Amino acid sequence: METKRSELKNIIMNTRTLPTLPGIIRKLTQLSENDKSSVQEMARLVSSDQVLSARILRLVNSPSYGFYRVSTISNAMILLGVNVVKSLAMSSSILGIMEKNNIGLWEHSLAVGVASNLISKKLGLPESEEIATAGLLHDIGKVIITLNCPEEEARVRKIADERHIYTIDAEREILGVDHAEVGGWLGKSWFLPEKLVEPISFHHDVELSRDHRIKTAVVHVAEVLSKASGFGDSGDPFVPSLQSAAWDMLKLTDQHLAELVCELEDKLVEMKNFSLETYESA
Amino acid sequence: MQKIPLKKAAPGMILARDVYRNDSPAGMPACGSGIVLTDVLISRFEQINVQALYVEGYPLKEPGAATYEEVAAILDRRFEKVLSDPLGAKLNQIYKEYFKRAMGEESGDEAK
Repeated sequence: METKRSELKNIIMNTRTLPTLPGIIRKLTQLSENDKSSVQEMARLVSSDQVLSARILRLVNSPSYGFYRVSTISNAMILLGVNVVKSLAMSSSILGIMEKNNIGLWEHSLAVGVASNLISKKLGLPESEEIATAGLLHDIGKVIITLNCPEEEARVRKIADERHIYTIDAEREILGVDHAEVGGWLGKSWFLPEKLVEPISFHHDVELSRDHRIKTAVVHVAEVLSKASGFGDSGDPFVPSLQSAAWDMLKLTDQHLAELVCELEDKLVEMKNFSLETYESA
Repeated sequence: MQKIPLKKAAPGMILARDVYRNDSPAGMPACGSGIVLTDVLISRFEQINVQALYVEGYPLKEPGAATYEEVAAILDRRFEKVLSDPLGAKLNQIYKEYFKRAMGEESGDEAK
């Protein structure tokens, strides 16, 4: 078992076949960490990627922001903030990897991203944009397992189905490691910030999180809500337990939970239309 | 009343709320409530990027669940591992109440 685990870790940390984070994001991160760089420099970098530019302009011009028409990337970056742009770049490229591989998982990830955003807005948490990104990426480990160990993954699904157990327990049994930990490894090897890596690594056990407990707790609750809604397919149909540690950390109330269920269901209807448009455009 | 994705809208359904362009409730409605949907109307909504509609009744059921009782049974199956846990049971209850309200509104919604 231990050998399988280290084997998998080697694959993830070393292989070149792994999806790489597009260079543009690495450069964007470097620029944003360097306080000598200007927004103009970053805007020039972003402008070199047409898809990303289009997404940013679409976001900044969306009615929910209510800005007057914005047509340049540098204005958009000033209005949205560098962090929002970075999250957008990261999530759109990583979701691209996911979308090609497993539509059910992609839908589930979108739902958790939306739910994370709703929860952090409801609780008035800072960095809700980052929390939403963490939610989007929380199951990235599953993509890596599917890409690198398709046979084991099939066995995981089989025993989870036969024995009526959670996918995560089946993963631990077959692979000696679970998708959360694998996702954490990947995040580290991509040099993602800790505030994304911790929620990815510990979304099944929030108490293991140290520096970003609130963000981790939000992603955990978002995952439980998304599973409860039955939207998408993350591998098994069972709602995981809502950890009381997360409940206490976020100081959630019954009222919050009831409101969140309504708001999430409401958003999911629009998301369903989006994925129907994308995949059933026959 | 039910909110449905535009892709699932079908001729004959009746709008329960006004439809707005681009989800911006501040502007003028693109179509008023009470209108019966037609193919032409639906494709117009597609063109102006409407994602979801509110329609009368509860036309879109969960697969295999026509009544509230059947939805509740699906929920219980989904929650089967956490029903003994207080927070799990609470969430299950909230979800059931949500569906009871959503599906039961069929008759009492005309006031809006």
